[in-house]
Amino acid sequence: MTGGMIQGGVGFVTLAYGLTWSVLAAYLVSLYYRGRDS
Amino acid sequence: MRRWELPVGLAGIALVAWGHFNGLVVAPPEAMMGDVGRILYVHVPTAWIGLLTYLAAFIAAIGALWSGRRGWDAMVEATVEVGVVLNALLLAQGSIWAKPTWGVYWAWDPRLTTSAVMVIAFGGVLLLRRMIDQPPRRLTVSAVSTIIAFVNVPIVYMSVKWWRTLHQNFSSPDTVSATMVTPLRVAAVGMLLLATCMVVARWRIGIKQLSDEAEAADMPDPARPLTLGGEG
Repeated sequence: MTGGMIQGGVGFVTLAYGLTWSVLAAYLVSLYYRGRDS
Repeated sequence: MRRWELPVGLAGIALVAWGHFNGLVVAPPEAMMGDVGRILYVHVPTAWIGLLTYLAAFIAAIGALWSGRRGWDAMVEATVEVGVVLNALLLAQGSIWAKPTWGVYWAWDPRLTTSAVMVIAFGGVLLLRRMIDQPPRRLTVSAVSTIIAFVNVPIVYMSVKWWRTLHQNFSSPDTVSATMVTPLRVAAVGMLLLATCMVVARWRIGIKQLSDEAEAADMPDPARPLTLGGEG
C-alpha cells in the first residue's frame, strides 16, 4: 500500500448519506400513502 | 402505518440517526480510507439488514408454499420489496464508496456481481407477481422464485471469503476501536427496527389488497349479463 490515507472525499460521504436518507424517507412516505389509500 | 410499527419505526430512525451522527462526527477517520471510510456506517448496516430481510422472505416463501395462506403471500411480497429497496441502496452506497477508494464506481468483483444478481433476481420476483392474475398461481410462483433467488444470498455473504479480490473481507470487532464499532452496531439495530416497521406496514397493505381481490372475485361481474338457467 502506498500513498497513505485517502484525502478528501467529503462530497462522496455526503452523497451516500443524503441518498440513503432520501430513499428511505421516500419509501416510508409511499408506504404511508399506500396504506391510507388501501 | 399504524399500531406498533410506528413507534418501532421512530425508534429505528432515532437509532440510525444516532449511529450516523457518531460515525460522521465522533468516530476517527479510518486509517487508510480517511473520511471516505465513514460511508461504512451507512453501507454495512444496510447490507446486514438487507440480507436479513431476504432471509425473512425465504422463510415467508416456505410458509406460503406450506400453508397456501394469503398472510404468508403478503409477507413474501413485503419482505422482497423492502429487501430490494435496501439492496438497491447497498449497491449505490458501495459504488459511491468505490470511486474514491478503488478509482472506479463499479468493478466486476464477486461481491459486487453477486449483489447485482441478487437485486435483479428479487426484483424479478416482484415483476412476476404483477404479471400473474390468479392468486393461487401467483402465490406458488412468487414463493418458488423467492426460494430460487435466495440461493444466491449465502453466496453474496461468503463471496469475500471464497474469492479474495477487491472487496475487503469481514472485519473483527476485536481489531476495531469501540468508537467505530458502537455507531456501526447502533445504526444496524436502528436499521433493523426501521426495516421491521417497513415490512409490517407493507404487509398490511398487501393483506388488504389480497383480501379486496378475493372479495371482488366472489362478486358477479357487473359487465356480464345475468341469465336465468342455461349458459350465460
